[in-house]
Amino acid sequence: MINISVLLIFIPVVVSILIYLFKWKHMNLIAFASQLLITILAVIYYNEFSANFEMTHIVLGGWDERIGISLANDNLSMSFIFLSIFSWWMVMLYTFKWGKTEHTFLFFLMFLQGVFLGLLQSNDLFNLFVFLELATIIVAILIAYKKKGESFRSAIYYLMLNVPAMLIFLTGIIFVYYTYGSINIFALTEEFRDVDDTIILRFSYVLMMAGISVKAALFPVFSWLPKAHGVAQSPISALLSGLIVKGGVYLFFRMNFLYEGAGFAYSDFFFFIGAMTALVGVMFALSQKDMKQILAFHTVSQVGIIMMGVSSADEEIFFGGILHTFNHALFKSLLFLGAGIIISVYRTKKVSEIRGVMKTMPVVSVLMIVGMLSITGAPFFNGFISKSIIMYGFADQGVRYWALYIVNIGTATSFVKMSQIFFGPKTLSYPLKNKAQNITLMFFALGCVMLGNFYIPFTEGFFGIPFDDITVASLSNIFDYFLTLSIAFVFYKFVIAKDYLPVRTVRNTQISFENGNLLFLIYIVAMLMYFIII
Amino acid sequence: MDDIYGIFKGGTLMNPILTFLVVLIGFYGLSSSDNIIKSVFSVTIIESGVILLFLNLGNFEGGAIPILSEGVTSIVDPLPQALMITTIVIGSTVTALSLMLCIKVFHHYGSVEWKEVLSREDVKS
Repeated sequence: MINISVLLIFIPVVVSILIYLFKWKHMNLIAFASQLLITILAVIYYNEFSANFEMTHIVLGGWDERIGISLANDNLSMSFIFLSIFSWWMVMLYTFKWGKTEHTFLFFLMFLQGVFLGLLQSNDLFNLFVFLELATIIVAILIAYKKKGESFRSAIYYLMLNVPAMLIFLTGIIFVYYTYGSINIFALTEEFRDVDDTIILRFSYVLMMAGISVKAALFPVFSWLPKAHGVAQSPISALLSGLIVKGGVYLFFRMNFLYEGAGFAYSDFFFFIGAMTALVGVMFALSQKDMKQILAFHTVSQVGIIMMGVSSADEEIFFGGILHTFNHALFKSLLFLGAGIIISVYRTKKVSEIRGVMKTMPVVSVLMIVGMLSITGAPFFNGFISKSIIMYGFADQGVRYWALYIVNIGTATSFVKMSQIFFGPKTLSYPLKNKAQNITLMFFALGCVMLGNFYIPFTEGFFGIPFDDITVASLSNIFDYFLTLSIAFVFYKFVIAKDYLPVRTVRNTQISFENGNLLFLIYIVAMLMYFIII
Repeated sequence: MDDIYGIFKGGTLMNPILTFLVVLIGFYGLSSSDNIIKSVFSVTIIESGVILLFLNLGNFEGGAIPILSEGVTSIVDPLPQALMITTIVIGSTVTALSLMLCIKVFHHYGSVEWKEVLSREDVKS
């Protein structure tokens, strides 16, 4: 029973290797079978331990628990495990036709799942590093999978920015290990409860957080994300934006739990960074013309909103942020996959050149509209719930409330812009109907609507917070949404659509590789100054 | 600042401050060079710096290699060495992958300069 957590890592990895070794025609059926097995095992595991998660801590190989490889789960990691298994189901369904021939793709996909499930469950710091680094390598290969020039250059840009960040994370682990003699997260959490607040502790926190920030694509160091997610193939972009970026966010709050006892976690610094991330992401998204670039920059801004939530010590705002993580995974995957279908039919990524999607592909359009309503926070869709919860928490803190409000207006504007693709006459026929792809979109849309209306049992089951004291669907919130939408429409009509000079300037702003690294160094120095000197 | 200094009490192979400098040299290379291959080397340099730092801090004067045999009483901490082997393996993978990507980038763009590669619009493969 207890070894199921190992099996969750082991099965996908072994199956992926089998797929790569024996390139049979129906290998993707084996992948589906293993996926089913993982799902059943995860459900059994959750049923077994949901009452008592302390039992799930295992140390592999019989080593001392303070230094050995260990795995452990709690409600948070279990909910992420279910989310990732669901996402992988969907991506495998979407790429059902590839699965018969593209064995290499299936190999990397399944391997990445094993690595990601390991990352979620790992309970020692060095293993976290190993899984993160493995995920980085596999993601770089997946980005380059299209084998075009732009995918190769994005892959190496991604790799060269992320690997140094991971090494900085490792340096943080070094300082923790030599000061406290352990790398086990449970042992360290106990230790940090009653240590003095020392410089070395803060130093390790800063180094770890700096590394994680790059993985989560926070404000000054997000430059790799639009490059990578904008050029990868759509199912891969969906997986990267929906889930792999969340790996960084997941580590962010894992580390905050770890350093909670020391007293300087949950600082305003990360709220500020989150707000900047959201604003800058929206600003760039507004200026883009490429459909996938718009979606990729929205991932940056939505991660900013999540950070605004999870950097708060207030429990409701914190879980609002985590709920937004789930919602974002659903609607962003939906949008990327839908955009993928549209792009493959129209053979262009330019928003201004795609028109009449509603008449050409009615099913895809309706599902895309569900995704757009969710991301802009329309009532009774999931984005609305989590944004309202976060906003409710900030209601009496003027600046924070307005920062989120501006981000919402920006998001709405950019999707008003993108929704222009639906209008117009039918320009081409749509001969290639792919049922598996439509079913995938339907599942994601269903998830958006379900979480938008019945979120209370979900949050109560996983996080123990029902949120039933917040009336989310109040009249004022609904009015707020329509106000936001009308402001967005006016803003689009009179500013963005005219393509003024500032918009063009932002669009042409490129962060070069050297400047990306320089920004990373500046970010570390800023964190050092905030946490150690002040 | 005592505790910062306290952690540096080991280090007989090389001063840990020097390994920090190695890391900084790597970052200097990353943020100043326009060449992709030089960037790959810079990442390798950073990695070597981090590995040296980890091994250094676990080392002390008179510590024997961590293999149990007769007459050996004080050994150095074996855990960092186990961890660093893993890091070296991962690092070599990263280097191999990034050099492969360099070759592919060169095939498509005819250049390994970041500025030139990133500024190109569309490429016919």
